[in-house]
Amino acid sequence: MTTLIRANLPVLVVIAPLFVAFILPPLARRIRLVEALALLGAVLGLGGAGYLASIVLTQQENPFIYQLGGWPAPWGIELVAGSLGVFFLLVVGVSVPVLLFAQGNLAAEVGDAERVTRFYVLYLLLVGAMAGMAVTNDMFNVYVLVEVATLSCCGLVSARRHPRAAEAAFTYLILATLGSALVLGGIGLIYLITGHLNMGFAAQELSRVWLARPHVVLMAASLIVVGFGVKAALFPLHVWLPDAHSTAPSPASAILSGLAVKGYLICLVKFLYGVFGPTLLQEFAVHRILTLLGGVGIITGSILALTQEELKRRLAYSTVAQVGYLILGFGLLNVTGLAGALFYLASHAVIKATLFLAAGAMLAATGKRNVRDLAGVGRKMPITMAAFTIGSLGLIGLPLFSGFIGKWYLLLGSWEAGLILPAVAILAGSVLCAAYLLPVIRAAYFAPAPEEDWPDPGRPQKLALLLLAAAVVILGVRPGPFLELAQKAAAELLAFY
Amino acid sequence: MSGLLTKVLINYPYLVAVLLFTIGTFTVLTHPNLFKKLLGINIMESAIFLMFVASGNIRGGVAPIRGTTNAEAVYINPLPSALMLTGIVVSVSVSAFALALIMRLYKAYGTTDLRRIAARRKEVISDDHLDQG
Amino acid sequence: MLALVFALSSGIIGGLLVAALPAARTRLRNMVVLFFTGSGMICSWLVARQVWAGERLRFAGQLGGLTFCLDPDPLGIVFGLIAATLWFFTVVYSLGYMAGKAHQRTYYAFLLVAFSATLGVAFSGNLVALYLFYELLTLTTYPLVIQERSPEAMQAGTKYLLYNLAGAAVLLLAIVLTAAWGGRLDFVGGPILAAGLKTGLNWLLFLFTVGFGVKAALLPLHRWLPAAMVAPTPVSALLHAVAVVYAGVYGLLRVVYSVFGTTLLGELGFAALIPWVAAGTVLVGIIVATQQDILKRRLAYQTISHLSYILLGAFTLHPWGLAGAVLQMIGYAVLKTAFFFCAGIIAEQTGVTRVSQMGGVGRSLPKTMVAFAVVTLGMIGMLPLGTFWGKFYLMKGSVAGGKWPLALVLIGSGIINAVCFIPVVVRAFRDENKRLSITERGVRVTLMLVPTMLLVVIGLGMGLFPGMVWPAVQAVVDWFF
Repeated sequence: MTTLIRANLPVLVVIAPLFVAFILPPLARRIRLVEALALLGAVLGLGGAGYLASIVLTQQENPFIYQLGGWPAPWGIELVAGSLGVFFLLVVGVSVPVLLFAQGNLAAEVGDAERVTRFYVLYLLLVGAMAGMAVTNDMFNVYVLVEVATLSCCGLVSARRHPRAAEAAFTYLILATLGSALVLGGIGLIYLITGHLNMGFAAQELSRVWLARPHVVLMAASLIVVGFGVKAALFPLHVWLPDAHSTAPSPASAILSGLAVKGYLICLVKFLYGVFGPTLLQEFAVHRILTLLGGVGIITGSILALTQEELKRRLAYSTVAQVGYLILGFGLLNVTGLAGALFYLASHAVIKATLFLAAGAMLAATGKRNVRDLAGVGRKMPITMAAFTIGSLGLIGLPLFSGFIGKWYLLLGSWEAGLILPAVAILAGSVLCAAYLLPVIRAAYFAPAPEEDWPDPGRPQKLALLLLAAAVVILGVRPGPFLELAQKAAAELLAFY
Repeated sequence: MSGLLTKVLINYPYLVAVLLFTIGTFTVLTHPNLFKKLLGINIMESAIFLMFVASGNIRGGVAPIRGTTNAEAVYINPLPSALMLTGIVVSVSVSAFALALIMRLYKAYGTTDLRRIAARRKEVISDDHLDQG
Repeated sequence: MLALVFALSSGIIGGLLVAALPAARTRLRNMVVLFFTGSGMICSWLVARQVWAGERLRFAGQLGGLTFCLDPDPLGIVFGLIAATLWFFTVVYSLGYMAGKAHQRTYYAFLLVAFSATLGVAFSGNLVALYLFYELLTLTTYPLVIQERSPEAMQAGTKYLLYNLAGAAVLLLAIVLTAAWGGRLDFVGGPILAAGLKTGLNWLLFLFTVGFGVKAALLPLHRWLPAAMVAPTPVSALLHAVAVVYAGVYGLLRVVYSVFGTTLLGELGFAALIPWVAAGTVLVGIIVATQQDILKRRLAYQTISHLSYILLGAFTLHPWGLAGAVLQMIGYAVLKTAFFFCAGIIAEQTGVTRVSQMGGVGRSLPKTMVAFAVVTLGMIGMLPLGTFWGKFYLMKGSVAGGKWPLALVLIGSGIINAVCFIPVVVRAFRDENKRLSITERGVRVTLMLVPTMLLVVIGLGMGLFPGMVWPAVQAVVDWFF
């Protein structure tokens, strides 16, 4: 039994959440069972990821190559769990505390038991899709997983019954599908000139063929960058994100901002480095464009976040800014910068989940939505606000929190690439981040509180917040193993030729 | 000149695909009507499907079914068509979901025009209930 | 080693304990606060003795590829001792000043944690640790600035945070560049940067100056300091006359001696500019001070002016200049704290916050005003106060370093200091006393007065017996030259 599991591990990590998702709908009446099973599904996924990580990292099989249905590449679909795959699979583990937070907490936001069950189904589909994005090595498989993720994300956004949610979901759906169509177009062009859908084979063929057809390659690269850019909320393609992430229920916002956006970025990285490769990127100056857009995104996203009165919209624009950091890092083309970007990706996933969940708890308890109405929350809901504070300090990039490590390596990487403007953008982003997050903390702790009673959320919610906040601090104080994993992943990506 | 014309004649599926893609994208981004946006998406996706399927075609080729033709025949590439079956399924799902959302919006706002929805947003339901259900 | 760890953690542990105790248990809280600051002070002196005896205390940890270490050297010891000793005095003073005021628990908790942060800055052994504690210091002193919770206080707090965080961001860039160019970040083993591109190094020096210059209140980065005077007087005295601003000054001293080194700095064009910026700050600061009516603001601008004395001395790149800078650090800290303490007593007992209203105060509060007068002499730089020796060596260093106009600036600044405060003292004693009922009796005033008088006595002692502090100064100069 164990050998069977071990042999098929990469696909099982993807399938486990999907399988659980499909058995949930008939059980809709027994909501406790649904919630427990959903949590179990996510935990199984994380457990499998951990097991896979241990196999890959102890060099027993690095990378772990798995052929779906036994069909060898390039005819079959190949799953490759190398350092990058394992890295992102572990990051997807953030879905477990978020799911823990959702236990018993969704009815108020989403509705009756039927709707809550559908929420869990979509959630698990999203988790499965992202696990798939981590390990897949086939371009069309990427498209399929991206579509699964998109539909689940849109479904999650539309979970609330308010018409604003439907509007946000519709805009998100249209723009995201636009992005998918662009990506599919790019994949089509690559297939046209290389004849392969497997990323490794396509890369080899592309390196032989691109000189004869530079326009096609440039077109394909543009379509893929723009397509994934729309989905990952790269500036200026981010317009759907603030509405979508602020009208979704809190666990959905947490996973959308924290993980879904990152999944698309990982796919983008796989295409850029795994199919095109550093030489082609430099040839077409794609990396400079990425760094530029990333830098502009950081500044504009942060400034827009400053102008938002609603807490969740502020956090949503913050995500746009943070995605800018990641894109900036992806364009640096050196191991330090790329490792910094990957570590920052993991750090932001944990931090954003913490922030959105804490914000959701506060908004649900107080009934208010704006930042200035949250005066005194820190004293009434200490655990929630402590988690929010830790998340904010991590996002600003103070030492001892995870954000600092990522920013340090991004700065070092931008210096190695010989660029000074990205460094300035990164630091300006930190100061702006302090400007839009510290007032929330200040109002929460230092302003007088009204007389109402605002209780801390229940035990599963508190546990989820504590786990996530602890992760922010642990990644900041002992980043060693995870950082090494990021560095190995970066080295593998850059050594593709 | 004749070289260019020959190229155009040979590659007309791709040109049509590009044209459809442009029409579709333009429709999605500029029309305020929700249905038209959805139609734009569908046109865009049809363009992509056309591009893929056309890439698998070989002039004078036959369908790759074993045992029905002689050994000399050239088979066309079935892979893109198979991939696009998946793509069509995805497109159908997206359309279904979008239509459901349009119905929800129509019930709430009474219109399928985005401009009028934006105008009515404040009137219909106040944002106070946004956090409940 | 144990002393080092305990000195550093006493603040944090004490702060957490205070935060955990219910707000009503004032006596227990006071005991906790006194215990932890007292033991922190004693441990700092123990650490100092070990370092002066030549021992090397190093405590290192890994932060994911970055080393972070504590490694006190004579310069750090000087700063650490100033901070630790004065923190204890401030705490005693606070017990009197803050009695009956609101939000005491927050006040003492953050005061203690800021203590740890300051010692962390002082005892740090590399730029990473310095940066970490530097940022921590900003964050932990913010609640102290907004203690009053008035709109004015909140505005001052926002300004404080923005200036300091922006400075820290610039500092981070400078540190990353140092890591990229120098390859290491430790302070031990000579200056980090050797030779290199001259333009790049000039820019690096500029970044460091801006980064540390915010806290060191270099013109034009000083604007947060007068605004922060809205904080309670003990906070103004300790943090904004000594601890926080000294963290900036200490940072710049580190830049001069541990990052660049005097030889390299001598070759950089920008380094020749800085003494003039410092001189400008000295003069402009004290001139603006004379125009301030609110006493604490006058003291704030005087602080800005006097801090640049230290920077002036450091950038002469001469051992006498460094000796002067260190002497000034020690002497000025003691006296300025006492100065602010006096202002606090005056404000609390008579309600007077403006210089124009200080006529006759000396008749009601004689001991306070005598202390005020003695400290004023010190600020001018006259014997028998310790600051005389600091100024003496600063002037010697300026001339030896080839920048004799700086000595003139120092003399001029002394004269303006006199103009700024001597009339205030004279009027306080000479004018009619309109407040006959105010006295200096009572537990509260005693708690405030005793530390003040003790500090004045120490200042006098340092002036009359400079041999007391000279070994510490000598140790610093020997370490770097």
